[in-house]
Amino acid sequence: MADVEIRNVAKSFGPTDIIRNINVEVPDGAFVVLVGPSGCGKSTLLRMIAGLEDIDKGEISIGGRVINDVEPKHRDIAMVFQNYALYPHMTIAENMGFSLRLAKQSKAEIDQRVGDAARILGLTDYLQRFPKQLSGGQRQRVAMGRAIVRQPQVFLFDEPLSNLDAKLRVQMRGELKDMHARFKTTTIYVTHDQIEAMTMADLIVVMRDGVVEQIGTPLDLYDFPANMFVGSFIGSPAMNFLTGTVRQAQGQQIFETGSGFRLPVQAAAGAADGLTATLGIRPEHLSLSSKGEGLGGKIVTIEPTGSETFVVVQLGEDRISALLRQRLTASIGDELWLAPQPNTTHLFDSATTKRLAGA
Amino acid sequence: MLRRKRWLFAILAILPTLALFAWLRMFPIYETLRLSLHKWDILSKNKPFIGLANFQELMSDRLFHEALLNTSIIAFGVLIITIPTAMVLAALIHYRTRSRVSGFYETAIFLPHVVSLVPAAMAWKWIFDARLGPLNAVLTFLGFEPQAWLFDPTLSVISVIVLCSWQALGYAVLIYLVGFKSLPVSLFEAAKLDGASGPQSFWFLSMPMLKPITLYVSVVTLVSGFNVYAQAFVLASDAQGAPGRQVRVLVLDMLENSFRNYRVGYAASEAVVLLLIVLVLTLIQFSLLRERGRA
Repeated sequence: MADVEIRNVAKSFGPTDIIRNINVEVPDGAFVVLVGPSGCGKSTLLRMIAGLEDIDKGEISIGGRVINDVEPKHRDIAMVFQNYALYPHMTIAENMGFSLRLAKQSKAEIDQRVGDAARILGLTDYLQRFPKQLSGGQRQRVAMGRAIVRQPQVFLFDEPLSNLDAKLRVQMRGELKDMHARFKTTTIYVTHDQIEAMTMADLIVVMRDGVVEQIGTPLDLYDFPANMFVGSFIGSPAMNFLTGTVRQAQGQQIFETGSGFRLPVQAAAGAADGLTATLGIRPEHLSLSSKGEGLGGKIVTIEPTGSETFVVVQLGEDRISALLRQRLTASIGDELWLAPQPNTTHLFDSATTKRLAGA
Repeated sequence: MLRRKRWLFAILAILPTLALFAWLRMFPIYETLRLSLHKWDILSKNKPFIGLANFQELMSDRLFHEALLNTSIIAFGVLIITIPTAMVLAALIHYRTRSRVSGFYETAIFLPHVVSLVPAAMAWKWIFDARLGPLNAVLTFLGFEPQAWLFDPTLSVISVIVLCSWQALGYAVLIYLVGFKSLPVSLFEAAKLDGASGPQSFWFLSMPMLKPITLYVSVVTLVSGFNVYAQAFVLASDAQGAPGRQVRVLVLDMLENSFRNYRVGYAASEAVVLLLIVLVLTLIQFSLLRERGRA
């Protein structure tokens, strides 16, 4: 096990900057998830750690050793690819033992380590089969097995679950977490799926356009998003945004929209009177309110799932969505009034998109 | 009703091609098979049926045996040289695609395949020439004895093999390049992380995964190797200068029997033997291919 430090790292492909001056510290034994939309540079960063891409600027170190110019095979890492990258002409046992065979380990040693990994992953019965004879989930397990047998200092995962169906993804998520709990190996995991990030990570690194937007624990990111991007990216369904101004009234600060919706807020210093701001409200933090109180509009969409009801309400030109715990008797076109629960909203500076305060 | 109409249309659409195929491909094969059981001298109207007599005669025909042996040596020689060379050259070109001159290499290797056979063979005849050829000049310069490349019975066969391989290489490299390009990059990245060096990746991944390509290229190379004619004809003349006598190949033997000795039926029986050899070798290779598919 080892910590991983990424210091001032940058990378560009031709004139396009893919990674711009990124700093991340991955503590020893932590499960860190790099998350962000497509093209944000998360996979490139992972591949730079693996040694599959050169590092243009900055340093990456594993266990205190700078690995910029170290061959991938000497970095003591193992990587699981999105498409599994299993060798199609080798059996499962050969796939898992390939690295050991190249390292000239004895056959007995290879058999034992492959056997151990296969037992952990429930692959013992499949060792003599070929990859194409296995299901997607089993192949993913083989890819994990191939990583485990090497007993590396760091595991790297590049969107390993995105080729699986939804049910299998949930199951494999659990298995990955179990595996991490068992081996406690430092893990860096790339995904574009914020649910995967939230459920698995000790620490999440949110990236966009080659820049780190925020680093924190899953609940930190959920409760205190540093900017509007993180607010909208973390959490599902996505956060609602209402544009308005911050006003000083009767000794307190009020957020006010053009349509007359008002909410007391505690904006940080620098939130001058009349500042254009954006209020973020998570759909799950809206509750039904009585007429004239909070935000009112006509229902556009209504999706009952049994345990909760998802509604979208037209609010002037905006639409806001709400996830309600109770069932609704209303239907499309009816008027609905919603109010944010106390101390659950987020205030952002509209110009910089940065967080001003919670309210 | 509609289905029947569609079916009729499909048949009508395919019929011209099918007819052409039957006329140009199937009919000559059928005619060759028929002729091999008859005696015919091109001119006479009579083509008496003589059963397997032509084939019986082949058994004890010294010239035919020589031609069959030479042709087999050339075909397998070309195969043995072409396949590994093509694979390595394709790998070098593929893994150096960032190099500015890779396009030049690709063209340079493919060029012999499109150059007309006779001028190319003439050029090689000059290279192999015992007195004026650059090959002997180089050998002499390096302190070796000059060789009579095109007159020595063994060396002349080797010369034909070299010429045929030079021609076959371009096509084989091209097909291998397509094969290399279709191999998934992530497998090689995984191998890199597993600790494989470039040559190890080539040995453990590229070669086994390119097996279907290798089998295909082998079939094509071997079949064209068994049809060798012009190369031997232009390159290797005997002491009196008669072309093709030095390295006697099956196609030449057939031509001589047909149009010099006027024994078309006999030549047809040789063609049938050649057809059978090629057919059997192709079947063996395809069964190997299918076995790979099952793995």
